Amino acid sequence: MKDNLRYIIFVGIFLLLALALSPFIWNLMTSFKDKGEYFTYPPVFIPRSFDVEHYLQGMKLGGTRGIRDSFIIAASTTLLSVALGSLAAYSLARFHIGGENLAFWILSVRMMPPIASILPLFLFFRSLRWLDTYQALILTHLLMNLPFAVWMMKGFFEELPAELEEAALVDGCGRLGAFTRIAMPLVAPGLVATALFCFMFSWNEFLFALILGRSKVVPITVNIAGLIGGHEILWAEISAVSIVASVPIIIIAIVLQRYLVRGLTLGAVKG
Amino acid sequence: MGIPTRFLFGGVLMRKKRISVVALLFVLPVIAILLAISIFPLIYSFYLSLCQWDIGTGASRTFIGARNYLRLFTDARLWGALRNTGLELLLGVGSQFLLGLALALLLNRPFRGRNLVVTLFLLPMMISPVVVGCIWKIIYHYQYGPLNFLLERLKLNSVNWLGSNQVSIYSIILADIWEWTPFVMITLLAGLQAIPDELYEAARVDGATRLGTFFWVVLPLLRPVMIIAILIRVMDAFKIFDLVALLTMGGPGQSSETIAFYNYLTGFKYFSMGYASSMAYLQLAIIVIIANVFLKSWKGREIS
Repeated sequence: MKDNLRYIIFVGIFLLLALALSPFIWNLMTSFKDKGEYFTYPPVFIPRSFDVEHYLQGMKLGGTRGIRDSFIIAASTTLLSVALGSLAAYSLARFHIGGENLAFWILSVRMMPPIASILPLFLFFRSLRWLDTYQALILTHLLMNLPFAVWMMKGFFEELPAELEEAALVDGCGRLGAFTRIAMPLVAPGLVATALFCFMFSWNEFLFALILGRSKVVPITVNIAGLIGGHEILWAEISAVSIVASVPIIIIAIVLQRYLVRGLTLGAVKG
Repeated sequence: MGIPTRFLFGGVLMRKKRISVVALLFVLPVIAILLAISIFPLIYSFYLSLCQWDIGTGASRTFIGARNYLRLFTDARLWGALRNTGLELLLGVGSQFLLGLALALLLNRPFRGRNLVVTLFLLPMMISPVVVGCIWKIIYHYQYGPLNFLLERLKLNSVNWLGSNQVSIYSIILADIWEWTPFVMITLLAGLQAIPDELYEAARVDGATRLGTFFWVVLPLLRPVMIIAILIRVMDAFKIFDLVALLTMGGPGQSSETIAFYNYLTGFKYFSMGYASSMAYLQLAIIVIIANVFLKSWKGREIS
């Protein structure tokens, strides 16, 4: 009886997983199909050949440029967020500067509706002639990543026993030394997790990229959306680009496993 | 351990002022940047919300007081967008919660390969919403999509998923459920795993049934995590934009517009910066309310 129940549960889990992943499988299959295979009824499930032709074509249709632009923006905003965010987080965690209010004010920036922030920012960047530039998107992505980095790092610093830094201070290490030589190396895993999250948020972001990108800077999300909006829809190429764009994210998801809950709930659930 | 940290710090340094200078220097860059990219722009856009300014026509900016805000109340299109956003919150987040809870309970048992299974379940929410939109656009295709093919095989009628103004918003919600159920699942799973085994033992010893244990032990302990999961989802779902833009562009007609999407059109297609700003402030007000509930429940959790 009990064994039967266990068996049913495992079969259930497996079926649900298959159901949840089937849209991905369909997307993967589509990326190998020729035109006659995706514009046809009944639908073709398995494509005739698995050559990478559509991947190469998709990369030419802006995929390569999109990935380069997304990488430049995501990497820059990540570096800035993690560097400045760690400093602020340390200050908040160790000296309780500004008390709870400052910390929650920083967090509240992250919760604002993006459309409310981008309207005035768009006008600012327009008068600075910064539309269609990397710096505009890098700065705008700080809206989500900087508060995020502060909160994540604050949590990691709070978990460090302060005694270690005290010992360093007693040994004549300055405050700055205690921070760079003791605290930072100890939170390194948390730092890496925070950075990967920031990178992912920026890589996946669409609204800001759509509004601030034009022709010189076209992140991968805007590129994919543009291909879908085109008058001739090249499904195989779109699928191919979307898969390439997802590969770094899937790798990040696997690396982040342990920190996922914490990151996705902004540190509210430790996981 | 025995000595509270702050005494030791004070004892070593005896210069509390210098500590606060360092502390201030550390936190200053973040404050400066957030003021520059968030607070000042918002102050500016509040001023804009009191103006009429259509930047598409080259017309100049005129101050019109609260008229944009009054217009919000009579804008039928806005109410349609609010209704769709409400549907997403009720149906979308509601289903995500129920399905996520069921999945979390299902996965809250040790078995080989569990980590891999959990990670695979998470993929829909990790990839970009743009990719999610792209995937579902293919699946929903009226003529050639696999979903309608499946329905016909089951002797059901084809559904015009994205091209019918009765259905399109529900298609967006369905894709959103697929994308975000994993979030509720993993959050609740983390909450479930934090419940010590002894409590289940104790309940069993006291003669509680499986169902009784669930209602009287698991649910109350899971409540704080549930609230956080729901509030985060509500906050995000309220801003839903990407799937609308990718799947329907708010159409057909305006049948699947959400508040964020209509706001985007007002600002960046019709270029009515004043009216768009007032709409943004309406959303900001709603988000502030939700966020305050969220922060309260968070602070409450830290005390307990």
